[in-house]
Amino acid sequence: MDGKELLSRLKRLSEIEDANKDIRDLTYAQFPGTHCPLMGAAMAVRGIDGAYMMIVGTDECAYYTKRMTIHSEDWGGVGGRCVSVTIDQHDITFGCVKKVKEAFNELMDEYSPEAVFIVTTCVPEIIGDDFDALAAELTEGSGIRVMIVHTEHFKCENHLPGVERTITACFELMQPQKKNGSVNVIGQRMGRFEDTELNRILVSSGIEICAMLPSGCSIDDIRRAPCARVNIVVNDIGLPLAKKMKASFGTPYVFFDKFTNPEHIEIAYEELFSFLDLPLPAELEALKATAEKAVSDAKKKLTGVSFIYGNTPFRAFEACAFMSSLGMKPELIQCHGIKSEDQNDVSSILTAHDPFITQSANISPMQYIYDELRPMLYLGHEYAMRLRKKGIALVHTDMGGGMLGYEATSYLLAQLTHSAEEAREIREGGMNK
Amino acid sequence: MSLTRYLPIPSDRMGILWSLLNIEGCAVLEYGPAGTTHYSMGLFAGLGIEQENSLFTTHMREDDVIMGDTSRLENAIIEVDKNCAPKVIFICASSCAAVIGTDLKGVCTMIRPKVNAKLMSFEQGGFRGDYSAGIKTAYSFIAEHLAEKREEKQETKYNIIGASVGSYRCKADIIEIERLMREAFGMTAHARLCLETDVETIRTMGEASLNLVIRPEGIDAAKKLEEKCGTRYVSGAPYGYAGTAEWLRAVAEAMNKQPNAALIASLESKQREAAQYRMYARMLKRNKPQAFLYGDYETVRGLSSFLESIGVKAEKRICKHALLSVPQPNEGIEYHRTELERIGIFKSARNALILADDQLKRLCDKSCTYMRISTPVIDGAQVAVHMPIMGDRGADMLMEYVEEYFNTLR
Repeated sequence: MDGKELLSRLKRLSEIEDANKDIRDLTYAQFPGTHCPLMGAAMAVRGIDGAYMMIVGTDECAYYTKRMTIHSEDWGGVGGRCVSVTIDQHDITFGCVKKVKEAFNELMDEYSPEAVFIVTTCVPEIIGDDFDALAAELTEGSGIRVMIVHTEHFKCENHLPGVERTITACFELMQPQKKNGSVNVIGQRMGRFEDTELNRILVSSGIEICAMLPSGCSIDDIRRAPCARVNIVVNDIGLPLAKKMKASFGTPYVFFDKFTNPEHIEIAYEELFSFLDLPLPAELEALKATAEKAVSDAKKKLTGVSFIYGNTPFRAFEACAFMSSLGMKPELIQCHGIKSEDQNDVSSILTAHDPFITQSANISPMQYIYDELRPMLYLGHEYAMRLRKKGIALVHTDMGGGMLGYEATSYLLAQLTHSAEEAREIREGGMNK
Repeated sequence: MSLTRYLPIPSDRMGILWSLLNIEGCAVLEYGPAGTTHYSMGLFAGLGIEQENSLFTTHMREDDVIMGDTSRLENAIIEVDKNCAPKVIFICASSCAAVIGTDLKGVCTMIRPKVNAKLMSFEQGGFRGDYSAGIKTAYSFIAEHLAEKREEKQETKYNIIGASVGSYRCKADIIEIERLMREAFGMTAHARLCLETDVETIRTMGEASLNLVIRPEGIDAAKKLEEKCGTRYVSGAPYGYAGTAEWLRAVAEAMNKQPNAALIASLESKQREAAQYRMYARMLKRNKPQAFLYGDYETVRGLSSFLESIGVKAEKRICKHALLSVPQPNEGIEYHRTELERIGIFKSARNALILADDQLKRLCDKSCTYMRISTPVIDGAQVAVHMPIMGDRGADMLMEYVEEYFNTLR
């Protein structure tokens, strides 16, 4: 493969007008490719105790999803909450609604679920059966809430829409409640929220958590979720649900993602406590000061350090904008798209740099890009030894998945400065290059 | 009976993929949404299949589905050919591509002048049967399109048709067959369809003097090779002591050779010893020994025959896959289209020897004795390649379970 040729296909950040078309794949043939939204739906239903997932799709779609759930206690193992309706040639020709109804009745008779997510996949979506009407009919006839999650992968780029659509579908389970002082946490998908700085702050402020979607709650928790005073959205997959709850139940929301820039974290904390009608906890001042000191210390060591951004737990453009503000140089950013929430960060990056942009989850051709761009750092999942041979240090970021708040800033900076030092040593011929 | 509670039976497409991915020197390019390919990686890795630089996906967007635009696929073919230089590129339709009716053959014809690799397409998409139909298609296709016509034969070489990594202990079984063939006839295996083989070996498989068809899905391929290269074939697999001896005699007859007499004598001796269980069975007062079997057709047929020969009645013999690929299936072997029937059968088993998979194991009563003979492997992993189910070594292993089972009946 020719790295120059690969790069010539890509657009730079300033040239992206339509993210769907302009953020191109490095190659036409990909390996391993992105995850499927069906998998995302499974990740979400897993965290909802008492809910069943009924996949409508090919043997293959059902097989891989069931296989993923088999060793999980949350799912209930082999005979657990993941079941399927597999479709064949006859169903493609004549539709599969009748079959899904039969399967649903079997499910009700045998398992008595509290709620059912019917997850449709690519083929039933191409056929065009009206599953939304079916869900309404089944809900009316069964006495439990039946929700439809559409997960056709040809309409989206990765698994996250599957998570998003599943937790958004939970809105149908919610009932009006009298507000109390609790919060809901929406969108936590990596690490345990209990381990985060944000949770420690909530606990020390005496604030209770009502429902956590999709990371562990019951149907009853979801039903009562509108009693929360505010929704904390910790990933943009939670935004559609938060917006619906705001419109229907008047619950405000704070977007509190895994921000790395202390200014963004400060704003998120201020917003949260303002909605809660509580003063900012004093300990936040100290946490902020620690993060700001980490920033000024790191700046000296990171100015001029170039990097390629891969798949990390952080928000791609927020993290890249923050790193750019430290004097670092983004050479290429791998991402799944650009959302409206990213626009300020995109503008911020463009004030100093104009990196290449490509779709993520296609590692093999990246090897040829390294030779062309020669970055010092690679953030994301890669083979460290393979990178070292090309004079690049890997920045490990996975631990950031379990962080929210100023802790994310300090963690990322520590990882960056450590890896930048390593990259310099590799390039100077040290560290057994 | 529309609900599937457990793992569905793998589709034809899955069988095709795990067959093709075992051929070194080729690339498999899937035309469809990337998620299916990424999702499949876990299963294939569990089956011991290396995928980097041999499995690719084009991904597919809404435009491609609605407009039928195949330029993404065409570019991907050219790219894989240029970057990986495989001898063959297998282009496999996803379920989406199959439903919208993408003309993969047409695309291959159009692109062929632009690439060096041989292009071959599979348009099944998962709707033309289960994995049994898929592996049958793969074997036949390979025999027809990749194996070249050869007149001259190498007397000491044979091919194996019917190796399938989707079957439990496949690698160990192939090693056992190779040992038996070496000890009985001094012969060595050439191509193995489809396990750890390569394009070049398949191309020259017509040189072998015999094809061993170890599962019925390989018969069509063997017939094609017989027609094309004049290669004789023997169908059937060696299960149990007497079954292994009988199989070796069938091979001997086809080869017009005598098998190693000491090996045959050893098998006959072991069979006589195992047959003593018939007497133990007659002595049992309360529970008569009975077995419930579930797995691939040839495995169920072979093992049930062995068990009957030692006094264990094969109460239920259930084939995991449809019997369409089996010419003249044994009348006693059932196939159930839905899982509910077999769930009921295995739930009702009491004081039985259960030869099945880890899902059915969970349904069985505690009075039963279980031995795994079929995938999926849920409790543990397949690591050992010296513990086959076929051959006398496989029968030795089964006898350990039989002894354990008889102890529960006394």
